[in-house]
Amino acid sequence: MQRSTFRIVVAAGAAIGLAALAGCGGSSTPAESDSGTVVFWDTSGPDETPVFSRIAQDCAQKGGYKVQVEQVPFAQAKNNFKTAAQGGQGPDVLRTDVGWVAELAKLGLLADLSDTDAAKDTGDYNSLAVASTKYDGKTYGVPQVIDTMGLYYNKKLLNAAGVAPPKTYDEIKAASAKLGGDKTIFINPGSYYALPFIYSAGADLVDPATKKITVSSPKAVEGLQAAKGLLDAKAARTSLDSANAYNNIEAAFKAGEVAMIVNGPWAYSGYLKAPSFSDKASLGVTAVPGPTGPGKAPQGGHDYTIRQGTKAKPSSLKFIQCMSSTESQVEVSKSLGLIPTRKTALDNADAKASGGVAAFGPLLDSNTQARPSVPEYSALIDGGGPLAPSYLALLGGTKDAKAAADEAAQAFGPLLPGYTSG
Amino acid sequence: MVTSTAEGTSQGRGATAPRLWGGLGAFLHRHWYAYAMVIPVVVVVGVIVLIPLLQNIYFSFTNINDSTIANPVLDRPARYEVVGLDNYGNVLSGDPSYGDFYDILVRTLLWTFGSVVFHYLFGLVLAVMLNRTLKGRGLYRVLLILPWAVPAFVSAFAWRYLFNADYGLFNAGLRGIGVADPPTWLGQSNLAMFAVIVVNIWLGVPFTMVALLGGLQSIPNELYEAAEIDGATPWQRFANVTLPGLRSVSATVILLGVIWTFNVFSVIFLITGTNNPNTRILITYAFERFFSGSTRDYAIAATYGVLTLSMLLVFTTIYLRVLRRQGEEAW
Repeated sequence: MQRSTFRIVVAAGAAIGLAALAGCGGSSTPAESDSGTVVFWDTSGPDETPVFSRIAQDCAQKGGYKVQVEQVPFAQAKNNFKTAAQGGQGPDVLRTDVGWVAELAKLGLLADLSDTDAAKDTGDYNSLAVASTKYDGKTYGVPQVIDTMGLYYNKKLLNAAGVAPPKTYDEIKAASAKLGGDKTIFINPGSYYALPFIYSAGADLVDPATKKITVSSPKAVEGLQAAKGLLDAKAARTSLDSANAYNNIEAAFKAGEVAMIVNGPWAYSGYLKAPSFSDKASLGVTAVPGPTGPGKAPQGGHDYTIRQGTKAKPSSLKFIQCMSSTESQVEVSKSLGLIPTRKTALDNADAKASGGVAAFGPLLDSNTQARPSVPEYSALIDGGGPLAPSYLALLGGTKDAKAAADEAAQAFGPLLPGYTSG
Repeated sequence: MVTSTAEGTSQGRGATAPRLWGGLGAFLHRHWYAYAMVIPVVVVVGVIVLIPLLQNIYFSFTNINDSTIANPVLDRPARYEVVGLDNYGNVLSGDPSYGDFYDILVRTLLWTFGSVVFHYLFGLVLAVMLNRTLKGRGLYRVLLILPWAVPAFVSAFAWRYLFNADYGLFNAGLRGIGVADPPTWLGQSNLAMFAVIVVNIWLGVPFTMVALLGGLQSIPNELYEAAEIDGATPWQRFANVTLPGLRSVSATVILLGVIWTFNVFSVIFLITGTNNPNTRILITYAFERFFSGSTRDYAIAATYGVLTLSMLLVFTTIYLRVLRRQGEEAW
């Protein structure tokens, strides 16, 4: 009796399976039409998003289409977009981290904009920013903002201790005697924040030219060791509690519990809201420290991209061009201190006067390194990527720099087909 | 029709199949009503469980990922192919780039049995305490069921703040009593595993308690009275009346507890994220493989899924067999 029951279940299951498969077959591609409503996924932070929404609505009003702004947390946006876009769903326009463009384009999830006006009118843009919109010779986006990281410092605390903003790791160690030991600098344990240490040592995670994984090269290990060295010298603290780390670091810096942190312009407007920076002048920014002089931070930023399969491509195109117009960029810089990607916006007096642009603009020229154009690169340094646990193990002291770097190199392997360790 | 012809030729080679079909026909004839009633369930289970399950098993033998998957929206055909047992070989070799399988397995077992043992112990103690008449019993019951009524993600976030190394309540308390360097609970050490197990115990005790309380109330009072008349001590009454009376409820509670805990994803995901190797269990690692990486590795995630399912099947079979040998039916 049990056997025949089983047979019936299997037979029914198989029949349903066939029916479901048949149902999946016949989808057809719709002709290019325009629904007139642009769904925009804004991945900016809570301090930034009101400004972007306002500009988006202004653009919609002027352009004669509708915009629906949906705020998606940055950390989840890429995954959510991938899942949605694979199934033909999701936003029409995505604010895309520059590191994601190549990855999403490789998967065929972004619309190719090479033949549109968006790809032609690029003379006004910063060339690094334009490079970030391209993959395999095609254009997939329009630059929104460009960024780098710098050393934020609390001028009041530094002045009270009588120290100048440090340029090297040794200067941080020297300053820590006066700033109260580990109250000197808070090291973010996130893997993106490991990059300045590695870049400043003249190394990188991978070398696309020779197809080698270089995170365990002697220079990169030296860079990683520098971070651990600051902790060992009791000149820095960190938070190994990775789920709470970013918030704890922000809280500590805003409350004046630590004198310095490394972060990007996206955090600028948030810090100014904190009581200890009510006097704007007490928030200082300089280049990230390096081994022998000012170091280098990774170039970042965001692009506007359009999802492949959108039902509102013409409107979306109008929308992203409006969002990245000189006028919009000046507005963003004025309100949030983000660095514009258009030269005409950067030259605008209002934009220049903004604290964030004044602080980070100069760092873009001399203290910034572009990330290699490898589609898998952003996956290496994602929060869920393989560099994060190794870097945490190093900072926590469970592995030394070489062992942590070796572990990372090994974990990179499966993500980087065709690369060898070296 | 097939039935009548089959019945005549029941002897000789090749007759087994027609006979079975014949049996089935008669069977259906007798029970068609019951089966008609059951069909909607079979359909639903088939669509939401059986088909995805078969598909998952198939994917674990391929090299499917999000660059080889078919995409009707983008007019892209499937490009993945069958790779045989490669995925299983890679995973079971214990290679760290495929997740250090044996390390994760040990953590999963620790997580599962650590949680279930304490679910049961605390649940039993609380159920016994609540089973007697005492003042404000209703209030205690409500308070004890509360962790279960609060959505798991709310509890998880609350615990994450409690465990916060720099600003959390626990470490504030430890500093208050003079511990200079309180631990990083959710960091890169086995303390993180301990912390998530504590949270999971807290979340799971109410269910065990309620189930056992139900079991306790079904034990006839006469048994206790008889035991008392025979001069049994309270401990003897507990060991010889209460525990045997709870056996079938306990068996179910423990079986469900193991299966659920083995597959609990939300607690670890919400408290330590998916990228802390110290709190990796099989199911969170499958999620990591599915969702992170520039190409999402569906094949390895599916392999982990199949391995998890196989282990649970083996466990359930052995567990039920042992119970049956002891003369108990869990269900």
